[in-house]
Formats: sequence, structure tokens, C-alpha cells
Amino acid sequence: MRSTKPGLKRLFITSSVLFSFLLGVPFLWKSVEIYRSPLPFHDIDSLSDQLESTPLRFPCNFHAVFVGFRSTDPDNLRSQIQDGINQLTHQSSQCGSCDFSLSVTVQNREDQCSDTLAHSSTTCSYRCGVIKRNGFGVGLDDTVDESLNDVFSGCSENSGKMYSVVVVNKENANGGDEVKAVVGKRRHAWIVGNGLEERYGDIVARVSEIFVQAFMNGGREEDSIQGEFMPVGSDGKIVLSFSLLNSNPRDWVYDWDFQRIDEALLAPVTKALAPIANISVESQVLYHTPKSSFSSWDKKLQSYIFRTSDLPFFVNSNEWHLDTSAGASGRSKILQFVVYIPSGKECPLLLQLPNGEISKTNGFISPMWGGVIVWNPGNCDKDSESPSRNTISLQDLEQIVEIFLGQFRQLFGLKSEDNYTSGLGTYKILPSERGFTEWELDVLSRKHTCFNLHSCSTTLGSLSRLVRSLPRMIIKDEIGEQVKYSLKAAKLAQSNASLGGYSSSASSSREARSLAENAFFHPSIMSVSYFSYEHCFAVYSPFFLPVIGHVVLAAVREWKRYKQEKAKYLTWLTRKKTT
Amino acid sequence: MASLLRSLILLLIVQSFLVAIAFGSNEVEEFSEALLLKPLPDRKVLAHFHFENRAPPSNSHGRHHHLFPKAISQLVQKFRVKEMELSFTQGRWNHEHWGGFDPLSSMNAKPVGVELWAVFDVPQSQVDTSWKNLTHALSGLFCASINFLESSTSYAAPTWGFGPNSNKLRYGSLPREAVCTENLTPWLKLLPCRDKDGISALMNRPSVYRGFYHSQRLHLSTVESGQEVLGSGIVLEQTLTVVLQPETTSVESNMQPSWSLSSLFGRKVVGRCVLTKSSNVYLQLEGLLGHELKNVDTEIEAHELWKNAEFELSLKPERVLRESSSFLFIFDIDKSSDSEPFDIGLTWKLPSKWSCQQAPLHASRFLMGSGNERGAIAILLKATESQEKLSGRDLTNGHCTIKANIFQIFPWYIKVYYHTLQIFVDQQQTTDSEVLKKINVSPSTDKVSSGMMEMMLELPCEVKSVAISIEYDKGFLHIDEYPPDANQGFDIPSALISFPNHHASLDFQEELSKSPLLSSFKENSLVRSYTEVLLVPLTTPDFSMPYNVITITCTIFALYFGSLLNVLRRRIGEEERFLKSQGKKTGGLKQLLSRITAKIRGRPIEEQSSSESPAAQSSVLSSKLIFKIILVAGAAAAWQYFSTDK
Repeated sequence: MRSTKPGLKRLFITSSVLFSFLLGVPFLWKSVEIYRSPLPFHDIDSLSDQLESTPLRFPCNFHAVFVGFRSTDPDNLRSQIQDGINQLTHQSSQCGSCDFSLSVTVQNREDQCSDTLAHSSTTCSYRCGVIKRNGFGVGLDDTVDESLNDVFSGCSENSGKMYSVVVVNKENANGGDEVKAVVGKRRHAWIVGNGLEERYGDIVARVSEIFVQAFMNGGREEDSIQGEFMPVGSDGKIVLSFSLLNSNPRDWVYDWDFQRIDEALLAPVTKALAPIANISVESQVLYHTPKSSFSSWDKKLQSYIFRTSDLPFFVNSNEWHLDTSAGASGRSKILQFVVYIPSGKECPLLLQLPNGEISKTNGFISPMWGGVIVWNPGNCDKDSESPSRNTISLQDLEQIVEIFLGQFRQLFGLKSEDNYTSGLGTYKILPSERGFTEWELDVLSRKHTCFNLHSCSTTLGSLSRLVRSLPRMIIKDEIGEQVKYSLKAAKLAQSNASLGGYSSSASSSREARSLAENAFFHPSIMSVSYFSYEHCFAVYSPFFLPVIGHVVLAAVREWKRYKQEKAKYLTWLTRKKTT
Repeated sequence: MASLLRSLILLLIVQSFLVAIAFGSNEVEEFSEALLLKPLPDRKVLAHFHFENRAPPSNSHGRHHHLFPKAISQLVQKFRVKEMELSFTQGRWNHEHWGGFDPLSSMNAKPVGVELWAVFDVPQSQVDTSWKNLTHALSGLFCASINFLESSTSYAAPTWGFGPNSNKLRYGSLPREAVCTENLTPWLKLLPCRDKDGISALMNRPSVYRGFYHSQRLHLSTVESGQEVLGSGIVLEQTLTVVLQPETTSVESNMQPSWSLSSLFGRKVVGRCVLTKSSNVYLQLEGLLGHELKNVDTEIEAHELWKNAEFELSLKPERVLRESSSFLFIFDIDKSSDSEPFDIGLTWKLPSKWSCQQAPLHASRFLMGSGNERGAIAILLKATESQEKLSGRDLTNGHCTIKANIFQIFPWYIKVYYHTLQIFVDQQQTTDSEVLKKINVSPSTDKVSSGMMEMMLELPCEVKSVAISIEYDKGFLHIDEYPPDANQGFDIPSALISFPNHHASLDFQEELSKSPLLSSFKENSLVRSYTEVLLVPLTTPDFSMPYNVITITCTIFALYFGSLLNVLRRRIGEEERFLKSQGKKTGGLKQLLSRITAKIRGRPIEEQSSSESPAAQSSVLSSKLIFKIILVAGAAAAWQYFSTDK
């Protein structure tokens, strides 16, 4: 029985302590929070969605000129060629392909022209009558190519590259039935023949085939090496490391003058490829480097044979100290090109193809690694006890470089034959002294841009997945900035690509990729950079667990007691009232 | 396409040929190998492999190479290294028995572990960055933890106390680095023949690493061509010095053991590396006084030299060269073949005894003091017997003096008090200025840089012993700065004692161009010796300490907090009243018990005389029980949630 009001002092103290603890919880939470720079997850996702839904396409201007055709409607021709192209591309919109616009010019025998221009009218148009029907195609193909370049030289290249096919109908009475089709070094191709007007449908099909197979796809087949195998480092550099391997210097020692080759032959190639990659060249000579596969003596060929099935074991990584270059920084791609000189015990050494023939190049490539060329010395007999020291002659070196260029093109997915045969006929392809023709470089830079953007988006995608899966990982501002700039560069590359700026889109796509890789491989991500909940619990629980127990229990008890006492007081009050 | 390319390529080659002729440099990369064998007075044999690779000045360094290792050249290009020396050593050079005053010991007696110094050709402000990058590159190249030299606490910039005087020099050493085959293999990779052929084929790993001392060294220096276009040439010198114990069957204890290459290494040389310019094996015999005065002009006496009553060589040397106190037998391994391998052997017939030339002072270093707080480092220089014979004295002011430079690095956790530096000459304490001519001290900064001390002493020639002592305090490291196995102690790198007025050289009157090994011997090299590595035990904490501290302080705080809270809400008057009523009823023991329980429970003992019925009480009890169970379950659930999920 209680006659006074229960006091609130103790209840107030305990509850205020409890509340101050509860108020402190958010501050504690804030203090143990780790710094995570906000990443634009939404932009990353939208970039990859965008790349997947609408593949990157570059505008290409195709221009077909028909010379010496009597009565052909250019509109009709245009629609026919367009159909042919669509048929060949199967309407597929592969990333890095062309978003073409076609214009057709027909020049009749009186040198009068009728044009059908594409919707986006190009600033360059064919000046009528420049190509003379009868004078065309006389002389070397190279000079014809040059003259065509003069004809179309007035083109501005603001909106994509301009590719042209010139069809000349000669109508020579004594001329044969032969049709000559040539794809030049620049961006031109021509078809010359007699009586082309009669084989009208055939010619139209061939024109569209040149547009698709050469200018759009770069002569590569669909199932050949895909864009994912672009051998360019993520910082946009390639190091070509050439090694001459003397497998047993006791038999013979060969040396080469590679510096001369580098200056004369490789410098133009590296210059030509500059928009795609920054290429540097190194060379070395190594000794005592046997191959690790076996070869067998073939009596018929009087030589040692190694088969394609041996190739995986040919490269002897234990003894071939090809060395990753210290000059190549970080993530450059190193392509090894190895010239292997067999020892006296296995000379001459030849590569047998699966069909039983002997390989003409005597070499092979390994995608993304490089290539191997087996070079047999002229005379395999060891004449004296002491090893002879020789230098590989310039002629032989020139052959080696030829094979190397072929292998290098192959690593990029290009073919190295001087003609291309399809069901409709054979096309001659003019080789460039720089190793890559201009239209091939265009194809490469389109594919490269596309590959870079894809790789950028996948890298950023994995980064965002990683970051989201580890909620207690520290993410520095630097990473956030790199991701931001990478996305910016990717956007820029996309917009440049749609405008047809090949080199600018290639360079910004390269930047996007390298920034994305930098963010992903940032040292602060790689190190152990997050501390776990267990750690947090172990540090804070020895204090907070017992204290919270005290505080909560005290508050609860006081509250209970207060209620109890109040009830007593109330009963006393009622009793008092009743009495 | 290939056929079409060809004509064009040919044209280009002819063009470039003309260019190259105009440009051409005739010098080519050269490689030479040599092996020096030397019986030591203490019944051991020293084998010194010497490889030299020269790249002429060229503008294509780092890009096109024939014999010279591309990796080294790229290193030089990238970090602009002017001169560099890297050594990996295991074992200590015995200065008393293996010599201390010849080029071999002054160049190849190295401190235990890894030592690296480099001079850079970059602006002063970039030297440290270059050094850091270089350590990382070398670390990858040689499979060693050279990258630990990156931190500014582990290297120093000596000014004059270390050999080359340059302000772009950096020096660092890692005494604890274990050296084994994984360091030798990349080192061999730099040789054109690796260990496949030539002299290096002798390097059988078990026999090399069974030795008493082995030191693999790589020294590279750039040679300025003087022409702006050509850049500079590089000389890469690689040496491996091993001291082996030949297996002896002789019962006579004073007889020197006989040995041959195959017994030392378990392998034979089957021919030279075909890429070498010169490939020689040398055998150096020291102090054969019996033959010293004889003339070696005639054929018979020359024959006497290698086959005599005292010893016999298994092969006839090509030539014999002599120096004031030693003979050098030169062998050419060109004639050897698979069927007739080169296997030089030395057979002793009579007991023989000789001694090596020694440095003027023998240096040793030790720790003084005890406990984990402070100590002192002492360097003791003792005069050697051979001191009188030496010529390198400095007769200034009519006094005969020996100059000695001491260079020492202290890690920052050895806090040296430089004012406690004391020098005792012949056990007499001297005032500093008497013998100490020059001193340069750069004090250490905690966790930032290491301390360095360079001193130049000028001692009278007749000195018997010099002792230098300096006191230090042991510092405390942060918990995450301790290396694994911190209880082993911390190493103080070797001190370097060099004698600037003494130069060792061996001149065999041999035309210089012949052999790089002999020409390197002929050059005057500074006499230097390294002291022992010191092991300082520091106070190492219990590494679980942070958690212990956290736990105990938190518990104390929690107790304090809890009791404070209890005190605040306690009703003393009520308790007293209750106790009074209790005391009347029950005995002393029960009262005490209830008091204790009240204390523990932290609440007043419920008044039994209250009006509550037992049933109500039990319901209150059960609800309390339920509450407790819920609390415990909740805590368990929370624990489970936090520990498993994230």
C-alpha cells in the first residue's frame, strides 16, 4: 500500500541512459562504415545493354561506277546491289560492321552520267567522264590503283570512308571473254571485261560481293579468328619480340642483322598499324634451345619431319628463355616471333601438313602468343669440327620477314593470299608494301574499336559485380574516377563511330578499355582491403554486450517497478476515495 | 601476295643496305669466360668463374641484341643506370686464410645476403624513384626479395665512405636473404651458353651450394662512346666465387689435399662455349717461395714448374706467368672434347704451407650490453701480421699512417647516440680529433629513413688494435612492421671497412687485351672488407595483444558502467528497512547469504511480507524466466545472423 506518488527520478536516469545509447548507435554505425566511392552502376549496365542490343556500326559509303553501259537505270542497279549486299550479310548486324549507304553512277558510251546518290549525300561525287572506257585498265595494276585514287581524291572523309568499285565495259571486238576483277591497295576495286552488259546480273552480284567480302569483312571468313583474339594489349601496345634460336650452337651458329630489317621492312608496317596499336620491335639471339618435340626421318624427302600434331609440344618453354620484355610496361601484349634453326641432328627439319604435303612456310602460329618459323641452313652437313659462324643472308631474311608478315596478318585474322576465289569468280588482291592495305586497316580499326568497347563493358561489368558482392570493400575515389572516365570515353567512341571517325573512335575506345582495366586492377582492390563483420564484432562486443545488458535490464526493471508502485498508489487512492 | 611482296622487299633491303653502310659500326658484342682456381692455405680450394659480356656503343640498346642479354640492356635503358653491382652471398669470407689484400678478395668478398648499389644518370630529384623501380625490376629478374630495398628505411646514399664518389649513388643490403639455386638460374640465363656448355657447365648445384662460401655477383657499367648518336656501351661482368673443400683421402694431416675439377664439382669441361672470344682456365699458386728466385726461361725449368717434387699438375699448362709472390698457370680448354674432357688436377707430394696477403687491419664487429632496452655496437680493428710489408702507407708530416674508411648503415629502430662514439687506440681512449679525420653522419628518422655513418680514421702504422664503440637504444616497432618470426631478432647490415690508400692489384705482365679476368686483376682495386652481420633481439610483443587489450579494457569499462548505473538507481532507504525486518527474523548466516544474492542480482530483496500471493510471485518469476530465455535466444540469433551471412 502506497500513499505517495512513485518517484520518477530513477526511471528518468535509466531511460535517459538507454536513449543516449540508442542515439549513439547511428553514430557508431557511421564510424565503422568504410569509404566506398559511388560507382555509376546504372551507366555500366546501360552501356553493356546498349552494346548488346544495338551493335556498333560504322557508316561506310559505297560507290559503284559503271562505265560504258548503254542503257541501265541507276536506281534499278542500286536496288539490285543493295539486295545483293543484304543477302550476303544475311541482315546480321555484327559488331564493327558497316552501316552502308550506296550510290551508283552509270556513265554511258557517250560519257554522260546518271547518278543515284545515297540519302546522306556525300560531298564527293564522281566527276563524269574522268574514267575513259577504253584507256582504263591498261598497264600495271598498281598504276591503275593510283589513277583511281586520283579520280576519287576529292572526297572528304567526314562521314565514314568511301569505297568504290568501278566496272568498265570495254566492248572490244577482239577481246576475249575474260573478266578481270582487282581489289586495290587503297579503297578501290575494279572489274574490267568485254560484254559485261550481257552478263549484267553476274556483274551486279560480283560488285556486291566485293563490297561485302573485301571492304566490309576484310577478306576474312566468318568462322576464322574472331574479334576476341585481337592481339593488342589493354594499354594499346604490342611488343614484337623476335628471337633467333640456335638449337645447338656446337653444330653451327647463325646470326642476323635484324636492325636493318627493322628499319627497312618493319618500320612501314608498324607505322601503318599505328592507329590500331603502338608497336615496338625487339630482337635477340638465343643459344642451346632445343625444341621439345621429336621429329622423324623421312627417307623419301631426305629430311626430318614434324607433324601438325607435334606443334603443341614444339615450343620448349623450359629452354627457350624468350623473356617477357622489361621494356614493355604493364599490360602490353608481347608477340613472340621465333626463328628456329635446327641442330645438325635434325637438319633439314620440315613441317608436314595433315594432308601429307610439306608446308611452304615451314612455320606455324599460336594465336595470342606469336609464331614460329623453322629455318633450315643451306647446307646441313657439318663440314668441320669447329662450329661455323654465319650470318643469315639478306635474301633468306627477306623470306623470313615475308613469312612473318603472313603470320602477323593471320594473328589479326587476315588472309595472305594474293587472290580470293568465290563461286562467282576470282579476285586479285593487290598487296601493300606496308603489309596491310588501307581497306584492311579500316576493317581492323572497326573490329578493334568494337572489341575494345566490348572488353571495356565486360571489365566494368565484372567490376560492378565484384563491388556489389563485397559490401565491405573499400573503393577509392580513384577507381570511381577511372570508371567515370572510362564510361565517358566509351560514349565518345560510340558517338565518333556513328559519325564515321575511325581513328578517333579507335583511340577513345582504347582509352576506355585501358581505363576500365586500370580500375579493375587497381592495387587497392587487389590487396586485402576490407575488414570483416567478425572483426567488428570482436572489437566492439566486449564493451557493448555487457553494458547494453545492464542498461536495458535496469530500464526494464525501473519501468516495471514504476508500474507496480503506481498501481499500488492508485489502489490506495481509490481506497481513500471510497473511504 | 607473298610473291608480290618479295620484289618490293628486295628493293627496300638494297636501299637500307646503303643506309647501313653509311651508318655502320664495326664493333660487335663480345663474350668471354674464365675460371680461376686457387688452393687456399686452409686446405680448401677457391674457384672463381668470370664472365664478361660487352655491348659496344649502339643506338639500338634494349632492342636488338646478339649475345648481350636483352633484359639487362633494357634495364639500363629504362632506369638510366650508370653503374650497378648486385651480389648474392652465402657464407662469410675468411679474411685470414683466404686473403684480404688481392683483387679477388677485395672485389668478391661480399656481405651475407644481397647487396645492391647503383649509380644513376638521372637528375638528382629522380634518383630515388629510379632506385625504387630498379629494385622491383631486379627482384623480378633474379627471383629475390630485392624489392624490400625499395623502402627508404632500408637504403642509404653514401657520399665518400663507400667506393665510388657520387651523389647519385644508392646502397642497400638485405642480410637475411637466403641465396640458392633460384637465384643462380636467372643469373645463368644472362649468359649466352647458360650452363649448357663451356666453363659454366661445371656449376653442379649440389657441389656449388655445399661449399663454405659462394658469392654470385653481377656488375654492370656503361662506357660512354663520346658520340651523341651512338649512346653508350655496356659492360656486364658476372662472377661466381665458391670456396670448396676437396675430399681428402690422405692420412697426413699437414698434407694439402689433392683435387681435380671432377672431384670438386662432379663434372668436367667438355669444351668451350662456342660463342666466347676467349675461354681460359687459370690456376694460381701463391707463396711458393722455393721457386720464386728461379728463372723460368728454359724449357726444362718451365717443366719443373708444373711437375716437381712438391706438387704435380695433371695437364701441361699453355703458359706460366709470374707475379712477385705467385704463379699463374694458364690452360686452354679449346682442345678438350667429348672424348677427352678437360679435367685439371693438382696433386701434392710434400706437405706445404703458405700464407695469404692480408689487409692492413682485420675488422670484426660485435654487440655489447644486455637487455631489451639498450646496447652498444663495437667495431674492432686488429693489426695483421702482414701489415709491415705493405706499401700503402701515407708518410705525411713524417708520420707513417694508415687510412681506414668505415661505412655503416643503422636501421631506424637502432637509435644510435652519435655523441657516445668512442675510439680506443691500443686500449687507450683517444680524443676524437687525434685519429678521426673526417666523419659524416646522417641520423635516422623514425620509420622514414635509416641512419648512416661514414668515418675516416688515420691511424699510426704501429697501431695494434683500434676499437670503436657507439651506444644505441632499441626502438619499438608498430605491430604490423614486425617481420614474420620477429623473435629471431633483427639484422644490422655489415659495416664496410675500406683502406683508401691501399690498392690491390696483380700484374702478370700479360698483354692486356688477352683476358678480361687478368685485366680486371691488373686494375687497382680498393682494399675493403666487410664485417659480420649483427643480430639484435628487439622486444617483440605478443601479437594477440591488441585483442587482449581491447577485451580487458572493455570488460573493466563495462563493469564500471554497470555498477555505476546500479548505484544510481539503488534505493538505500528501502533496503535498510528491509534488512532490519529481515534481521529480526533470520540468523546471521542467512542474512549474509541474502545480502550477497542481493548484491549479485543488483536489486533489493523483495519484501516477503508483501501482500503478493505465492501464485502471483511464481507467475512473475516465470515471466522473468521467459524474458531471459528470449534475450539469450535473441542474442544467439543475432550472432548467427551476423557471423554467417555476410
